[in-house]
Amino acid sequence: MLEVRSVRKNFDGFMAVADANLSVSKGDVVAVIGPNGAGKTTLFHLITGQLAPDRGEILFKGESIAGLPPHAICRRGISRSYQVVNIFNRLTVFENVQIAVLSRRGKTFNLFGRARSMAVDETMEILASVGMADRADRVSGALSHGDQKVLEIAIALGNRPELLILDEPTAGMSPEETAVALALMRRLSEDMGITILFCEHDMSMVFSIARTLMVMQQGSTLIQGSPEAVRNDHRVQEAYLGEGDACSV
Amino acid sequence: MHNNPLTRPTWIAGAMVVLALFLLPAAVPRFYVYMAALILITGLLATSLNMVLGFGGMYQFHHAVFYGIGAYGFALIATKTSLPSWVGYLVAPVVAALLSLIMGLITVRLSKLYFGMMQISLGSLVWALVFRWYSFTGGDDGIHGVCPPEAVSSTTGSYYFTLSVTLVCLWLMYRIVHSPFGRTFQGIRDNPERTSAVGVDVRRHQLAGLVIAGAFAGVAGSLFVTVEGCAFPELLFWTLSLEILVMCLLGGWFIFLGPMFGAAVMMTLRTFVGIYTEYWTMIMGVVLMLIILFLPEGVLGLFKRKTTGDKPAEEEA
Amino acid sequence: MEFAANITAAALFQQILVGLSRTTILFIVSSGLSLVLGVLRIPNIAHGSLYMIGAFMTWSIATVVGGSPAAFWLALAFAPLAVALVSFVVERGIFCRLYDREHLMLLLFTFSLTLVFNDLVKLIWGSDYRSLNAPDFLQGSFSIFGLPFPRYNLFLLLTGPLVALGLWLLTNRTKIGKIARAAAVDREMVSAVGINVSWVFAWVFVIGCYLAGLGGALVAPTQNITQGMDHAIIIEAFLIVIIGGLGNIWGALLGALIFGLTDAIGILVWPQFAIVFPYTAVVIVLVFRPKGLLKSVW
Repeated sequence: MLEVRSVRKNFDGFMAVADANLSVSKGDVVAVIGPNGAGKTTLFHLITGQLAPDRGEILFKGESIAGLPPHAICRRGISRSYQVVNIFNRLTVFENVQIAVLSRRGKTFNLFGRARSMAVDETMEILASVGMADRADRVSGALSHGDQKVLEIAIALGNRPELLILDEPTAGMSPEETAVALALMRRLSEDMGITILFCEHDMSMVFSIARTLMVMQQGSTLIQGSPEAVRNDHRVQEAYLGEGDACSV
Repeated sequence: MHNNPLTRPTWIAGAMVVLALFLLPAAVPRFYVYMAALILITGLLATSLNMVLGFGGMYQFHHAVFYGIGAYGFALIATKTSLPSWVGYLVAPVVAALLSLIMGLITVRLSKLYFGMMQISLGSLVWALVFRWYSFTGGDDGIHGVCPPEAVSSTTGSYYFTLSVTLVCLWLMYRIVHSPFGRTFQGIRDNPERTSAVGVDVRRHQLAGLVIAGAFAGVAGSLFVTVEGCAFPELLFWTLSLEILVMCLLGGWFIFLGPMFGAAVMMTLRTFVGIYTEYWTMIMGVVLMLIILFLPEGVLGLFKRKTTGDKPAEEEA
Repeated sequence: MEFAANITAAALFQQILVGLSRTTILFIVSSGLSLVLGVLRIPNIAHGSLYMIGAFMTWSIATVVGGSPAAFWLALAFAPLAVALVSFVVERGIFCRLYDREHLMLLLFTFSLTLVFNDLVKLIWGSDYRSLNAPDFLQGSFSIFGLPFPRYNLFLLLTGPLVALGLWLLTNRTKIGKIARAAAVDREMVSAVGINVSWVFAWVFVIGCYLAGLGGALVAPTQNITQGMDHAIIIEAFLIVIIGGLGNIWGALLGALIFGLTDAIGILVWPQFAIVFPYTAVVIVLVFRPKGLLKSVW
């Protein structure tokens, strides 16, 4: 479904992504792991169009999407959430998700419709599916951090993505909140059939849900394979032990 | 904030205000009717600015250009062509929207403050043209003795016309702000990056917002000429743009009628303080300083916060 | 609409010199604006008012001191300092509390300063225009290719490079200048190494405003000193700063050159629409280089 081949991104002499390769097949749950600064977030930015790669190919359903603007990539079926909470602060929870739904339905240039009676059912359905229906009318900027992270995912769902990209979905969450988020990701994958690509530092969380792992180090892909294959790969062990990273594999 | 359903008391209060405005000419001397018309026009202008400023988060620093161009568009149709002057009311928003489109194409790709400064620059270019092009615009004298259509040429007639057009425009803008487009626009204000990540072409929506706001400013300009019978370069001078920005600030950016309220307060202050002192701009300056220091969400914003218990949303960096 | 039919080389040369002396004023004023924009990120609308106050102060000091030849020079030295003092009081009194606000609020705050300053000028100096004579030896003209050229303009032509040199020394050779340049690029880093950014900002603001005052003082003998002289200069300075690249002082120099010269040539070629020439130049620059000619610090 998604193919990333030899992608590179250079910032003023700093090689954030040197040679990234990634393959995501339909229905899979793929985790990108690697130490801080390995280029995971940059890779996600490249896939979703916030950044354009210097070279390499990014194919989605067989078509090249490298260098397209974010809104065009989103319309092809890739949605994402952000590592740092990135929502519409002054709007309510309902409105946050509704914007994505309206966008998917191509209604954003509708000038005289009543927004408050549009796409209500679908928006509320999404909020119910992430367990936030009771907070629909709260101003999103005033929510707890955990709720804001879940809202992140809910916004991404508003686009009915085929591929959902989550950048550290449980970062900064309490253990209870993490468990909720994990259950949500499972439902999205198993019940709704959404393909998920995410990155995360919490290894127990990664190994409990991911079916495929991709390991990045210093901007390059080290290996992609099943959790067992990755766990047993000596390069990964070296990389993690050598880096002295807090995460243990 | 969500849904903002108009509650019953709001409806009744609104209906009473509208009724009072319609009865006004019967109750007060002509000067006040004329003043009320000017307040409505300036309020309409400020509200159109606030569509892009408060609801779109765009630093529209030189909105008066579209007002002035609308005024000149109407005045030129009425004085230099044999067309019926009613045509001017169509031409005014169209030329203002066109100018807005042209300026927007240049400015919309720029970041926030750069956008604002570029706007002041391009707007000043338009002003310079109007100011110097004696044969066409009358230069610094402007165009005087514009005759609006007969039905609306008396003080009362122009007042009712202004009131009706303003109400219709406010209703249209209210619909737009609460439409899917308006909601998307507010999303762009809060977080343009995220808005584009959910599949919205941010630049196009911003451009559309600019054109719409420009068109309404053009309508306000044509109303001004109807009431005053003249158009002059000060209508598109940058100080007026900043004055209407202050009106938006005074009333509150995030409230639909905030700018109208701000316009009413400022215009009234100017008229009545102006009787007692010629230094009224200093007083306005001091008031503005105090608002910036203590009331960054405006008077109505404070009122709304007090009544709804909303937390103030934090300022963006 | 009459085009000047045959423009002689001498007339062109003379007009270029006039344009260059205008450039000097524009450069001094807009470099101050650019400095404040670059380091403090404040589009200071009140910059034009400070320019006007500088001109009125110069008139007052020169008038109070009386007819002695030194009067003008005293005024030239002290009027900009007085302006700097005013800006210092405003900065420490109010402005320094607002730095974490949105740009829009800062802009509107400087607008409120403009309103107050302009009425203060009206209160102190009245609504009449004033005029000031340059010292005797700078009065009159000398001839270039048979055409007259005012001596005072020659003085301006010499002043411009001096100010530019001073600014270069300030930003490259002094500690405050180096800190200011670093703060323009990365504010957090500068405060992280233990420098009190607030005072750096104060200094930069005061220096920027001093330049506005200096521009006003230098322009005083060349035109009527009047209410409203701030309106044109602030827009011109904005434009210059934008085409030069926000916050770049050499951009301000380049922008002032473009603006001053196109203006001067416009006056020669098509007097009625002279004002349109520099504006058109600005639009052309911006269409091709929307972020300005030189690297902006933004």
